Order: sequence, then structure tokens, then C-alpha cells
Amino acid sequence: MKKSLFRLTDMLELSIAYIFCFSLNLLLDYAKTLDLDAYVLKAFLKNFIDYQPLIVSLFTFIVIVFHYQMLERKKAKIFCRILVGGTVFSVTIRYVLDCLTVLIFVYLLSALVNLHFGFNLADNFYLVLIFVTYILISARRVRKYENI
Amino acid sequence: MKIFKFIVSKIFLRKAILGIDIMLLLLMANYITFTAARSILSTFQGYQETKYVNQEGVYIANLDPDSHIDMSMIGESGTQAVYDYLNSSFKYAFYTDGFIVSVPNDDDMKISLGYLNEQYYRLNEFEFSQGTDLDFDYQLDGEIPVLIGKGLSKTYPVGATIELEESVLGRPLTLRVQGVLKQNAYHSNFYALNSKAYYNFSILFPVNEEFINHASMDIQFNGLMDIILLETSKEEIADLSEVIKDNLGLSFNFFSQKENYDYFNEYYLHSLKIIFITTFILLIVITCLSVWNGLVSVRLMLKDFTINLLVGLSYSKLKRIFYGYFGMLSFVNVALIATFTAFNRYGCWLRKDATFATYGLFGLIGIDWLALLLVVVSDIVIGIIVVESMLWKIKKVPISLGVLQ
Repeated sequence: MKKSLFRLTDMLELSIAYIFCFSLNLLLDYAKTLDLDAYVLKAFLKNFIDYQPLIVSLFTFIVIVFHYQMLERKKAKIFCRILVGGTVFSVTIRYVLDCLTVLIFVYLLSALVNLHFGFNLADNFYLVLIFVTYILISARRVRKYENI
Repeated sequence: MKIFKFIVSKIFLRKAILGIDIMLLLLMANYITFTAARSILSTFQGYQETKYVNQEGVYIANLDPDSHIDMSMIGESGTQAVYDYLNSSFKYAFYTDGFIVSVPNDDDMKISLGYLNEQYYRLNEFEFSQGTDLDFDYQLDGEIPVLIGKGLSKTYPVGATIELEESVLGRPLTLRVQGVLKQNAYHSNFYALNSKAYYNFSILFPVNEEFINHASMDIQFNGLMDIILLETSKEEIADLSEVIKDNLGLSFNFFSQKENYDYFNEYYLHSLKIIFITTFILLIVITCLSVWNGLVSVRLMLKDFTINLLVGLSYSKLKRIFYGYFGMLSFVNVALIATFTAFNRYGCWLRKDATFATYGLFGLIGIDWLALLLVVVSDIVIGIIVVESMLWKIKKVPISLGVLQ
């Protein structure tokens, strides 16, 4: 944590973004299992269930925004770290590891909820792949701030 | 305008990710509002249309879900006996549809046939764009006067005849167009008020006693499923149940005004409440995310904003620019939702789906425009919250400090 780019509030912000996306996916999975008598409700929910992957994927954009604004805010910090002897590689690795730690923690949490409701664990896994891609793409931006 | 263009192109679009995010969040908010608004409005329309069943002395037949249908017990003599009893003892509204036939038409659509008796016709007060009232006093061997939907009126104007090769009477029929229904005239399902069948590519047959007596068992049997009994009592209904049980071996429920009203309160009102609350919660969550996005934007663009404020841009002008920018994003989103809906509606035409093909301005019907209006209202509310919180954040930071950052 000492050498990390993340502060506690950043960790919290990223966790909330991840939790929101996983919860949304979970909610829609749960909606699928509901045995509703009411046709009105069924028809209403169908509008969301039919487009579940698209809706959840669009909401994952808030994670992109988090990574973008996080690195924009921390560019001076990255520059200073490199100035005092750090390498771009080590800063990037620490950044990736911090993001992955938060992601794994939230994924395990959502997996527990999935198990509790008896849902397939793979239902949430596509989000992990999306988020890992975002982390890797944003990690490439770290080197951009080597010189500011 | 010049300053608006400058701020948008040099500040907002330089950090396009934030703009895209707010647009996606708005798109989600708009989609949720639009879907919920349409569900609620459609249910309300259905309720308005079928309000006549909530009257004293009106009962709707409904096959008991636990009743087993034994087709070997159901024969023409059985259904005929039930109708004989109905004709002699009751005043009833008869309607059945879903019979698809091929009738040549300009749009190459399959045509849906609906059958209704005079009582049903009077209760529903159909509105015409052309033609006159339907005549129920006709001879089966002559031309049968019918009502058609707007989609068929180009091929078959009032007075034209339609040749039907197959019919429920088991022989070819000649129909004469008596009237054309208003565009997008619809029929709501009693048990799913938000579900509608549009009459644009339908032919409505007038059904009289002679017609029912000569019609196939299918139409007689289907007609019984939703038959509406008028000006009757619980005792008379009990007798009818017995007659149906004896002749067809089926148990029917007949719901009274109070039961229908209770059903509406328990089933529809409850569902609509859930839809409303879910939508409201989702909108609050999306508004919070939009505010977060707005505050992030301010955090990253503070330097640019404060420099402009330093060189003479007033807060009120900045506010107008923010509202303009948000309005622009909302407009794009509303246009996207409208296009998506129009495309969905157009899909029914491509699939040649006669029941759901509709007419409307830019492919959207009245209920869609009303839902879009509610989307605009929700956008205005979200816009005010987001813009005011962004301005609050900017005003909180002194100009000199902003420039230093």
C-alpha cells in the first residue's frame, strides 16, 4: 500500500464500481429464475433479460472511467516515483496487482452469492475477463506519464 | 454559440471517455424509463378498454386451470347445446380471434380474422375512419358485411368484396367491406392488459345466431373461453356452469365485477407498483453514477474551466453551456431510443406479423411518443441534478486555486 498508486478511497471507489457491475449481472440472473404469474412483470423484465450481456457490458464503462480518471489524477505521482528511482515496469506491475486484488476479492464475493442462489459460477466470469482487459489496457497508459 | 462550441470541442471532447460514459448512463436511464412508461401506459390503456367488464351483472368465463380438457368428450352437439342454452337464457358478448388466413393485399401480410357478436360490438364502440356501422342482420349465403383494418383499406376500400376460400363455415365466403377501423385500433387481452393485438391487418366478422349455429366447433369452443355474460346473476351463472360441465366436461370460472376489481388490484396494481419502484430505484442509482461522472469530469477539467472563468466566462454562462451540453447528449439518446423502437416496430412488418404491425409518425405509435415524453422529463430531472452538482463543485474551488492546479 505504501508504494501503491491507490489510496483507500480509490480502492473503495473501484470496489464499488466492480460490485455494481457484478450485482447488476446477478440481479438479472435472479430475475431469470423468478417464476412470475404476472404477465405485465414478465414482459417488463424480458426487456432487460433479453439484452442482459449488452446492458451489463455498457455499465462496465464506469470501470473504464475509473481507470482513466485514476491515472489522470496520479500522473504527477507516477512521474515522481520514476524520478526517485522507480521503474515504469514496477509501477505498472503494482498498479495491475492492486486492481487484480480488488477484482478477485469482489469476484469471490459475487461467486459466494452465486453459490448461495445456486447459479452457475461461469455466469459472472465473463465480467472478470472484461475487467482484466480494462486493467491491461489502462496499465499501458502508465508509461505515458513517464515524462510529463 | 461560439463559446459553447469552444468549451465542448476543447474541454469536453478532449476527455471523450467521460462524455461517452455519461451518454451510456443516460441511455440506460432512458431505456429503463421508456420500458417502464410503456408497460404502465399500455396496462392503463388495456384497463380503460376493458372497463366495461367491471359492471354489476357482468361475468367473464374462464376455463378453470385445474379442469382437464378431454377432447373426446367435446363434440359439435355438446358445444351446440351450450350455445342453445346461452341463446335462450343469456345476453352475451362473444369475441374470438387468432384465425390466420391468406388474403391478397398490397403489403403481402397474413390476415387475422376476428369474430364478434352485436353485444361485443356495442360494448367496445369501435371507431371508424371510413364506412358505416356493422350490420348483424345478414344472410349467410349472401355477402357478409365486415370491418377491416387500415392496412387492408388500400386494397379493399369500402364497398369492395373479399373472397375467402376457407372459412369457419367450411365453404368459400364473399365478404363486403362495410367499414374501415381507425389506424392502430387494438384489442387487449383480458388476462394480460398490456398485451395488444392490432387490427390493422384484421377482418372482423359480425357473428349472429345463425352464424354460430353453422360455424365449426373450433370457433364455438374458442368463443366460450372468454365469453362475457351481461345482465345476469350468480344463480343463472351456476346453471350455465352445470350445462357446460354436462355437455363438455369442463369446469369454468365466472368472475364477477368485484372479483375482477380485486384481481386488478392484486395482480395489476401490485405489478405496476413493482415496476414503478424498480424503475425509481434504478434511476436513482444511475443518477448517482452520473453525478459521480460529473464530479470526476470537474476534477479532471477544473484547470480548463477556471482559466476560462478567469478570462471572463461567467458562472451563469458556464451553467448555460453545461445545460446545452447535457441537452445535446439527451437529444442523441432520445433519438437512439426512438430509432430502436421504430426498428422493433418495423420488425413486425418484415416478419409479416399481422397482429403487431402498426402505423405511426416515424414508425412510432401514440404510446411510444407518450413514453418518449416521460423520458425527456426524466432527462430534465437527471440533467438538473448533474449540472447543479458540477457547478457546485466548480464554485467550491476558488478560481486562483483552480488555475494553480
